[in-house]
Amino acid sequence: MKKLFAIALALVLVLSLAVCAQAEYKQKNVTIIAASGAGGGLDTAARSVAKILNSEGLYTAAMTVENRPGGGQVTGTVEFVNKYGKDDYALLVVSTPFILNHIKADGNSPIGPEEVYPVAELQSDYGIIAVLADSPYDTLTELTDAIKADPDNVQFCGGGGPGTWDHLNAMQVAHAAGVDVQTVKYNTYDGGGEALTALLGGHADAMTSDVSSIKQYLKAGSVKVLGVSSAERLLDDEIMKDVPTYTEQGINVVTSNWRGIFMNKDASDEAKAFWNETIGKLCATEAYNTELKNFGMQNTYKNAEDFMAYLKTEEENYRAVYETLGLRLK
Amino acid sequence: MFESFGYFMQGMATACQPLNLLFAFCGCLIGTLVGVLPGIGPISGVAILIPICATVTSGLPADQAATSSIILLCGVYYGAMYGGSTTSILINTPGENSSVCTCIDGYQMAKQGRGGPALAICAIGSFVAGIISVIGLLLFAQPLANVALKFGPMALFSMMVLGLTALSGLGSKSMYKSLMMTAVGLILATVGVDPISGVARLTFGNYELYSGIEFLTLAVGMFALGEVFKTILTRDYAEGEVIKVGRVLPTKQDLKDCAPTILRCSIYGFFQGMIPGCGASLTSFMAYAMEKKICKNRENFGKGAIEGVAAPETANNAASGGAMIPLLTLGIPGTGTTAVLMGALIMFNITPGPLLFQEKPDIVWGLIASMLIGNFMLLVLNLPMVKVFAKIIETPAHYLVPCIAAISVFGVYAVQLSVFNLAFMLATGVLGYYLPKHGYPIAPCVLSLILGSMMENNLRRAMNLYNGDVLMLVKDPLSLFFLVAAVLWITVPQILKRRGKDVVVEDT
Repeated sequence: MKKLFAIALALVLVLSLAVCAQAEYKQKNVTIIAASGAGGGLDTAARSVAKILNSEGLYTAAMTVENRPGGGQVTGTVEFVNKYGKDDYALLVVSTPFILNHIKADGNSPIGPEEVYPVAELQSDYGIIAVLADSPYDTLTELTDAIKADPDNVQFCGGGGPGTWDHLNAMQVAHAAGVDVQTVKYNTYDGGGEALTALLGGHADAMTSDVSSIKQYLKAGSVKVLGVSSAERLLDDEIMKDVPTYTEQGINVVTSNWRGIFMNKDASDEAKAFWNETIGKLCATEAYNTELKNFGMQNTYKNAEDFMAYLKTEEENYRAVYETLGLRLK
Repeated sequence: MFESFGYFMQGMATACQPLNLLFAFCGCLIGTLVGVLPGIGPISGVAILIPICATVTSGLPADQAATSSIILLCGVYYGAMYGGSTTSILINTPGENSSVCTCIDGYQMAKQGRGGPALAICAIGSFVAGIISVIGLLLFAQPLANVALKFGPMALFSMMVLGLTALSGLGSKSMYKSLMMTAVGLILATVGVDPISGVARLTFGNYELYSGIEFLTLAVGMFALGEVFKTILTRDYAEGEVIKVGRVLPTKQDLKDCAPTILRCSIYGFFQGMIPGCGASLTSFMAYAMEKKICKNRENFGKGAIEGVAAPETANNAASGGAMIPLLTLGIPGTGTTAVLMGALIMFNITPGPLLFQEKPDIVWGLIASMLIGNFMLLVLNLPMVKVFAKIIETPAHYLVPCIAAISVFGVYAVQLSVFNLAFMLATGVLGYYLPKHGYPIAPCVLSLILGSMMENNLRRAMNLYNGDVLMLVKDPLSLFFLVAAVLWITVPQILKRRGKDVVVEDT
């Protein structure tokens, strides 16, 4: 009898251990690393995720957004993987450059889709080319013709270095318009906010950026947007609806900049499952969709599995773009 | 402008409601405590508290919640800034980059038993700077917004050259040695992923170095650990002599001496802070260097001059006021703090940008009023606390030294979470002992690490902009102005000295 009792007790202990091992993901303070400076589209995305998760009650503990600018997202990405080894309470928000840095030769990022766990795609943002409101250029053709006439006359600025998405947005347009991309002058700033400072201050002639970063400046009348990279005009957006697409102007480029949320690949399965589900819920909330609409972004939510597959196809596509533009690949 | 004034008074009325005053008080208190720990500076302090703040104010109506939270956050920010200067003064540990200069004279004052007045003058200087920035915002916010944008990459580069030139005279008798340390700092600044092209430099394949050498690691290592090693190795403590805390409040004479410094630095800091991209750190260094040249008591700079504490602390506070101009009028955060405040505003569905002044004047002026309240609260809160803090220096060395070492290790690890950085800090600690011993000042090294990367980025942008034409640096009027000022900064004292004038010159 005593023996039986001992066995029963042991069983209970083992079972309770097993239950412990499958413990639920506890909601504790989370750090979200935004791999850019404050004020740009990426930073805004990270902050709105944190805000809406809290306000909709999907996540009850505190969420802190930390900015890690530099290296066109390489700094933030590498630091995330190094610093938060197996942390279940750290998330990374990066965008298309995550893939670009992994495939390009200069400033190569050792971190690719395989080295992290892609939780979900959050949104995507169309590219734009903008100039100051009093600029002599009114259409993309006028701008590209000016570059053809004298490349030194037109200085582009953008929030990312050569080979980043911002840069490619401008270069793809130039290439499609028949400009030799090697002659295009381009200056890098730390994020869209700083690039915009340069444009407004007259230290650049044209800016490559995205809809979300430029919208309020267009509304305020301080810039003109010459074109948007969507397939069709953004008709349901009050401010952007009059902006013609690249293709309307005979420039055959359609592209968009996705933003996604990642975890460490060594995070626990509970954590991965929890965030996969929670971000899914987040992207379905009305608050999130209203927010995206306000900023001029598209809800292109993809769950972990679809996102991983998408990242792979993106990698292929951009390899092709790099080759066309004559940029060096790793 | 009268309209602005009306909104400002309305903002003041809001900020002075009992609940908001309580928030300001709590913010300042938490901020001061947070700031005393190295590592958790104002930026991370505010960032950590944003979500907590949202929870606390969730019961209030939306607009009121926004105002109250921002008041609390401003309090935390000013408190943390103040806390950072406290450690600079008392234990030679700068908590964040704008308080590096405060170490130089502040720690000397503390060693002479004048830690109390040093701490008090920080609070007083910050308060005056706060008032002057509010006046500046009332008068200049809209007209000057676009002027600030005229500072292109070239002007910013030349401004930083001037900054470095000014720094090279800091903390040493020999200008050559200072310049050597400045160069070391500039080299250290190039470590990490190149921000323009994304190429990894001097990282030796070590990803820990991808994000560059962290200012905090170097500063805490060189200043705090260097001092710890010095105390142990030179047996400073063996004499058994405990430094007595003298007066806690500054004397009338102190206040009188500091008044011109505080006034000059407030005005200077405000205008410099307005320029996006140069930050509070450059402003505080420049203010210190400037006062070292023009202040009446300049001979004592570096030996515990109260003006040397007032100058950087006043200027950096005024700069955060000036930085509000590009933030509120253009949506461009010029400093780390304004970036965090911008985050807080966005959290309450207020997007800073060109339309904010027209669309939500009440929020804008509420924010400005709360800055003033934050500074005032700090003065009320900290003048009594100065006495307690100043006692720290009376602690016998055999207790104090291990505590400083522990706080340094804790602070650096808490921010970096990496053993690599701890090892790096220890190594710089050894340097922080040997270098000053042989007359190589450490302040220029730490400061040029901060300025180096900003300077490099701007030069490269300028070169790209003008096809590598270096002459553009002197063709651009703003840039030329700063370069000429830099040349004069070095040559004028030398010429005056040759003519036998009585000036302070760093001997060569």
